[in-house]
Amino acid sequence: MVILREGMCPGLDEDLLRSLRAADIRTVEDLVSSDTEELAQKCAVSYKALFAIRRVLLAQHTAFPVSGADLYEELLSSTAILSTGNPSLDKLLDSGLFTGEITELSGGPGSGKSQVCFGVAVHISHHLKQSVIYIDTNGGLTAKRLLQMLQSETTNTDEQMEALQRIQIFRLFDVYALLDCLYGLCGGGLQQASVGGGSVKAVIVDSVSAVISPLLGGKQNEGMSLMIQVAGVLKSMAKDFSVAALVTNHVTRSGSGDVQPGLGASWSHVPRTRILLERVETPLSAGRSGLRSATLIKSSRQPLHVKQEFDLGWWSRAGGGPSGKRKLDQTEP
Amino acid sequence: HCSSSSQLLLTLHFLETTLSSRSSLALLLIDSISAFYWSDRSEGGANISKQEEKLSKSSELLGRLLRDYRITIFATCHTIRRSTSGPSSSDTDRPYLCRTWQRLVTHRLLCSRQEAGPNQTASDRGDREQRRCQVFRVHCTSSSSTGTKGSRTSSFRVTDGGVEFI
Repeated sequence: MVILREGMCPGLDEDLLRSLRAADIRTVEDLVSSDTEELAQKCAVSYKALFAIRRVLLAQHTAFPVSGADLYEELLSSTAILSTGNPSLDKLLDSGLFTGEITELSGGPGSGKSQVCFGVAVHISHHLKQSVIYIDTNGGLTAKRLLQMLQSETTNTDEQMEALQRIQIFRLFDVYALLDCLYGLCGGGLQQASVGGGSVKAVIVDSVSAVISPLLGGKQNEGMSLMIQVAGVLKSMAKDFSVAALVTNHVTRSGSGDVQPGLGASWSHVPRTRILLERVETPLSAGRSGLRSATLIKSSRQPLHVKQEFDLGWWSRAGGGPSGKRKLDQTEP
Repeated sequence: HCSSSSQLLLTLHFLETTLSSRSSLALLLIDSISAFYWSDRSEGGANISKQEEKLSKSSELLGRLLRDYRITIFATCHTIRRSTSGPSSSDTDRPYLCRTWQRLVTHRLLCSRQEAGPNQTASDRGDREQRRCQVFRVHCTSSSSTGTKGSRTSSFRVTDGGVEFI
């Protein structure tokens, strides 16, 4: 709803505004939907002038039309595929995270979603030398864990520091702060975050369900509309700035008892690719606690229900310690 | 790319002028018409007619475009499950958009995913053909202006060359 204001376009002065308001035309939509001839007669202005104003307002506020060929060229030149660092996961994702799209990781507690996110962030900042924005709503991210993962990649402390500097972290705990942060990033924060020569190529939100699921349910619609708003901002950020968005989600049980991702049917249309993570419970894997299985549950490119097993310890494979989120014997800074 | 239902309405008005100048345009695809459903609902507050106002204005305009310019409109709509209706109704086909839009719809195609493709046993072919092809089913309900209803079901597969009907 865009309210008509004076000076919005040449010819829209205060007298005209007053007569339009008297004819019950307050917003741009009202002006555009109403019959121009009738309105010109009611407000005692020339038909031509009103028509010109209508045309200018339409041009200002409608979505910009893009031809298919231009869109194709733009997509070809701006889309990049970011490897996650783990070859099995890459195979599942059709070689990695695509920029311009939202990818979702869902899984129960302890299934490794945050670890995968850490690994992806470390891989992008160290190997691909691009910046990453990490939005943590769980409080599970510690710099020590990122450093530990980096230390297994390289022993050069300068490189470690550089890579750490490319990961920008936001800690928020409610949906309004999340929306604020995302709008801020769209507004100019992404350019500011592009330090160290690499532009921001990935935005990771861990987890989006932690801030939205408390608002869902019941008869209020506000939770759903906030969820769709978050989805809209993430999508437009991914498309306009060519970043890959990675979000995590919890799981619930469906009516028939199967495990399915949370946040409902409306959210299920938002991510382009969805992966379900589960622990691998076989006697063989008892010794390797880092094994997880990933199932592709939604993809526009791959056949579904393909399972891949991968090791969470891959990202710290050069001999790191246990892949715990927090070390209990060390204090938090 | 429209980012709100008001922008959709304005873009449709803009399209009207484009349609009148280029008579070769015959098809309008909207993906998706239900994208702003929840934001409209929360903006409208407790009043249902206010919630549906923008979409019904867009639908009226689409109706006018249909009649005046003889175009065809394809629109996608996401299905949502109402949690208020009990556990027995897993009915995903309930239309939930406003009445003006529902009156405009003449053919409703419900797409769903079918499990297990038919060519799982071909073991002597290459690896690509062994890939389980996802088969989708589409159920079409048509209601004409005289009130008669007809329905058909087809299956299709998504391939590199597009949609292939079986």
